[in-house]
Amino acid sequence: MIAVLLALAGLCLILAAGMGRSHPRIWLGLSVIATLCGLSAALSVLGGGEIWLWRGGFTLGGEVPSLRLDGVSALFLILVCVVGGLGAIYSHEYWSEHHYPGSAPKSRSWWSILTLSMTLVLTCANGLHFLFAWEAFALSAYFLITLDHGRGEVRKAGWLYLAASHAGTMALFAFFSALAARTGTWELGPVHAQAGLAPLFWLALAGFGVKAGMFPLHIWLPSAHANAPSHVSAIMSAVAIKMGVYGIVRFSGWLPLPENAGWTILAIGCASALFGIAFALAQNDIKRLMAYCSVENVGIILIGLGLSVLAVQHGQPAWGKAALAGTFLHVINHGLLKTLLFFGAGSVLHATGTRDMSRLGGLWRAMPWTASLFAVGAMAVSGLPPLNGFVGEWAIYQGLLRAVAQKEHAAGVLPAVIVLAGSGALALAAFAKATGVVFLGAPRTKPAAQAVECGWLMRAPMFLLAVVMLVIGLLPGLFFAPIMNSVAAWAPQWSGADPLLSPRTLGGAHTVLACALIAGVALLLRMVRTNGTRQSPTWDCGYVAPSSRMQYTSGSFAGIARGWFVWLLRPEVLIRRVRGHFPGRALVVERIPETVLEKIIDPGARAVGYMADAAKKMQHGRLHLYILYVFLGVTALGLMILLGGV
Amino acid sequence: MFIYIDILLRLALWLLLAPLLPGVINKVKAWVGGRQGPPVLQLYYDLARLWRKGVVVSTLASPGFIIAPAIAWTAVVAAALLLPLAGAGAALSFDGDVLLLVYLLALARFCTAWGAMETGSAFEGMGAAREVSFAVLAEIGIITAVLTLVVQSGSIALSSMFEPLPGPGAALLAVGLFIILLAENCRVPFDDPNTHLELTMIHEVMVLDHSGPPLAMILHGAAVKLMLFSVFLAQAVLPLSELPLLISLAALAGSVLLITVAVGLVESLTARLAFKRVPLLLTIGFLFCLFPLILTWMGDL
Amino acid sequence: MNDTLSLLIGLAMGLNLLALGTSRLPVLIRAVAAQGVLLGLLPLVLEAHALDWRLILITLATVAGKGLLIPYMLIRAMRAAGIARELEPFIGYIPSLLLGAGGTIAAVALIRYLPLLPEHAGTLHVPGAMALILTGFILLIGRTKAISQVCGYLILENGIYLAGLLLIRSTPILVEFGILLDVTVGIFVIGIIVDRIQRAFDSLDTRKLTALHE
Repeated sequence: MIAVLLALAGLCLILAAGMGRSHPRIWLGLSVIATLCGLSAALSVLGGGEIWLWRGGFTLGGEVPSLRLDGVSALFLILVCVVGGLGAIYSHEYWSEHHYPGSAPKSRSWWSILTLSMTLVLTCANGLHFLFAWEAFALSAYFLITLDHGRGEVRKAGWLYLAASHAGTMALFAFFSALAARTGTWELGPVHAQAGLAPLFWLALAGFGVKAGMFPLHIWLPSAHANAPSHVSAIMSAVAIKMGVYGIVRFSGWLPLPENAGWTILAIGCASALFGIAFALAQNDIKRLMAYCSVENVGIILIGLGLSVLAVQHGQPAWGKAALAGTFLHVINHGLLKTLLFFGAGSVLHATGTRDMSRLGGLWRAMPWTASLFAVGAMAVSGLPPLNGFVGEWAIYQGLLRAVAQKEHAAGVLPAVIVLAGSGALALAAFAKATGVVFLGAPRTKPAAQAVECGWLMRAPMFLLAVVMLVIGLLPGLFFAPIMNSVAAWAPQWSGADPLLSPRTLGGAHTVLACALIAGVALLLRMVRTNGTRQSPTWDCGYVAPSSRMQYTSGSFAGIARGWFVWLLRPEVLIRRVRGHFPGRALVVERIPETVLEKIIDPGARAVGYMADAAKKMQHGRLHLYILYVFLGVTALGLMILLGGV
Repeated sequence: MFIYIDILLRLALWLLLAPLLPGVINKVKAWVGGRQGPPVLQLYYDLARLWRKGVVVSTLASPGFIIAPAIAWTAVVAAALLLPLAGAGAALSFDGDVLLLVYLLALARFCTAWGAMETGSAFEGMGAAREVSFAVLAEIGIITAVLTLVVQSGSIALSSMFEPLPGPGAALLAVGLFIILLAENCRVPFDDPNTHLELTMIHEVMVLDHSGPPLAMILHGAAVKLMLFSVFLAQAVLPLSELPLLISLAALAGSVLLITVAVGLVESLTARLAFKRVPLLLTIGFLFCLFPLILTWMGDL
Repeated sequence: MNDTLSLLIGLAMGLNLLALGTSRLPVLIRAVAAQGVLLGLLPLVLEAHALDWRLILITLATVAGKGLLIPYMLIRAMRAAGIARELEPFIGYIPSLLLGAGGTIAAVALIRYLPLLPEHAGTLHVPGAMALILTGFILLIGRTKAISQVCGYLILENGIYLAGLLLIRSTPILVEFGILLDVTVGIFVIGIIVDRIQRAFDSLDTRKLTALHE
């Protein structure tokens, strides 16, 4: 059954990739069918809790192909299917033939190839084939990011992505070949027995970490996500970086782990969460803000995973299970809500042509749907009840707090809780800023004033996502049950333990809360209606000529919190003040550089280039000097032998 | 059946008693200043008057301008209902409900900031920016205090985690939570609830454009939040739940009154801080919560 | 006894944070003075079971020196120089506060790993001394005004004194007096220098002294 569904999904995707260039409607239909097939396959594996295995009767590149779908990979497959399908619907209008005649066909076929290759990454159980699928995934993502390659910054972002991605792939090549060499087979599976494999985990962490965008390997992420078309940003942020997370989750479950792996993952998670959201808060570009927020959420996921690894190492299923369930749920939650947010940002970009928040404002009037759906996404990403974001974080927090309450092994968990709370509050600030500045108040520029709402094909996916998010928030018990199967697939030894989570109680509390919220709003609206309202301009403190440019901008909104992170963000500010009796134009331009890239890697690369240039001087074409080199080399060797006695 | 009556009783208690606190604070301030001052029940009169008034809505504002205060108010009241009341315990309790409480307060904050951004006013944007930024430090402090209680009691449910610390730890925690209480409720020295200078305010400036029933909800919500923090502080520091029911409730009421008087005294005797110094004081509050955490964690060393 | 000891040292550690977090010089000076008094009382607590004239002498001398004499001179120097605030520290108040708190916590956590005598192991004595020394260094490094640096120096000295109390029975009293005398002379010298700097440069900013490096 699962085999049939998966084969059908794969076939549809291959057909879609082939036919998508010329037949957009057929492509859309095939994508939706593939989504439904893949989704039902993943759900049946998750619901049943069994592992689906398939081995081919032939060899491919010298290896027998084998596929495997278990609780962990099925969980990620859900994300691929949901975002792949909804993104297809969204892009049908967003990146349509009409607007982008040149790149729309390419967008469609690469989209199908990307979803197909991600599905293969999740199902391949052979290291060699996994690497091929991984490479196909990385390349198709590159072509999608650079769809709009007429713009220089898009090309630049694409190259950066490609370079970073391949640096990661290099580590993965090393990892898989070392694994194959030590185990004697390319087949992947649990190898806990061979304790000597533990150090390989660091290679996997580095290789997958680049893709996951964990700090400080996230350098490619902000520019790639900001410059890609929004449906691509959505799938990159919601799903593609989760492939990196998948790799880390998978191999932390299968490999024997080095002793300090748990603490390392926890520390990386804390750094990613805190620094990611600090960067996000300071951004003025709405899509960059959300890209950095993805770094934060990967951090939260890694905090949960790190705690689960610690739980395995200390033999504490009680907190490990809660934390891991929260982690898995947060993977899904972040995928859903980030897709919603990027779709919303895409609608704004579509309507106004700018991503700079300081040029937007007051969009709720023109785009009420986008505004309210974006607000739902913003509240969910800030972890506010009764939405889904809170449920996942709640379970992770519970794991952390239980570890704290036990008080034995876990002094390092205390800072993790504090960091998690701090980054949650910063995320709230970042998204209060994003929604407030973009959608509320008065339009700051002409394009913002003339915006129009997006069409229903763009609205429907967002609406659907918001509904699913609300359902997860109200009925978390329904979702924790299958996720426990994923947890069991990751750590079979915990099968008997009680996770001590009470999602149903939380769901009940959330439902009551939602009813109370509706009742409160209804009460107030009724009161306001009976008392009567009067329209009037915003109170301006007696000022005679208020203008929309006096509103708080994204930069000023983030000013206070940005000041705390100046040492990290190093903003570049250009100020031209008002001077003289007949002043010229005044100006403030602020740019938040990507610190790790521009302050560490760039200078480092430049230094390497400099040294290489210097070394080039030795290559001058004068034969007699080459002979001198040979002579010097031989003498040096001789001396080494003489002195060292080798 | 019993549980519904219990919840309704608590709800009535929170809703009816909360507006008393700002009245007490104002009375203390007047008393220290040698004035007569407004009656203790002034806020009740104000609320009743506002509830009947019409609403002025900014031309820029969306329906969210009305919805946001309602959500914020409901969230704060829901958070208050989660708190146990000394010997009476909590109406509803489950593992991890303390996180729900913290995030309900965050929901209220998000909505207040939302309502402020609606009007497109520079003042209100300023207030919203300050509110969400300073709340980061306050939330870090709150979660540290929660961690202290969790370590001390070994429980992660609100109903059983109020096991006061021994000795100096409790005193430190009390000071830390009191600082956070002042910050979160926008009292002097963080914010001046009475000033009319928009540039020096946080919370007051965010609600500058609200009027009528929404403003009533905002004011009432602020009073409930003040009471919530007072009840939290009192139970975190004093061993109230061990006393018999009625005595413990009376002790709780007494300590909440004491905290309110302390807020009034602080308000009368200190001046508002310069804005640059606010993070410093909040950091101090955080440290006051952190040291008891370390003390509890290390136990007897 | 241990409770009183821990309370006194804990209060002294709290004063550390006050010293790190304040920008007002009078508050800083008073914090240092109060710390000196608290620590000066320690010998009485430590050796409460065997009081003798030596102890009482030490106590009186320390309390008078640290609590009255030195602060008095510092306040005079401050008035003479006409400054009351440290405005532009190298390390800001919040970072230095967090550094100090982190150092204090680290010191408390570290004591488990130190080979201490059993009678010192259960108290705040050793971590207190370490925290004081650390705070002294943070003030010395992070402040620009000469008076704040003197206060940093005093806190550093308090830390050394606290560490020295571990050996109260074996330290010859003369050594302790030597240290105290040293400090007093140091304060005198600094007081004079502060006065001179103020007259020469119209400022107490030690950064300006770099102009003298030749």
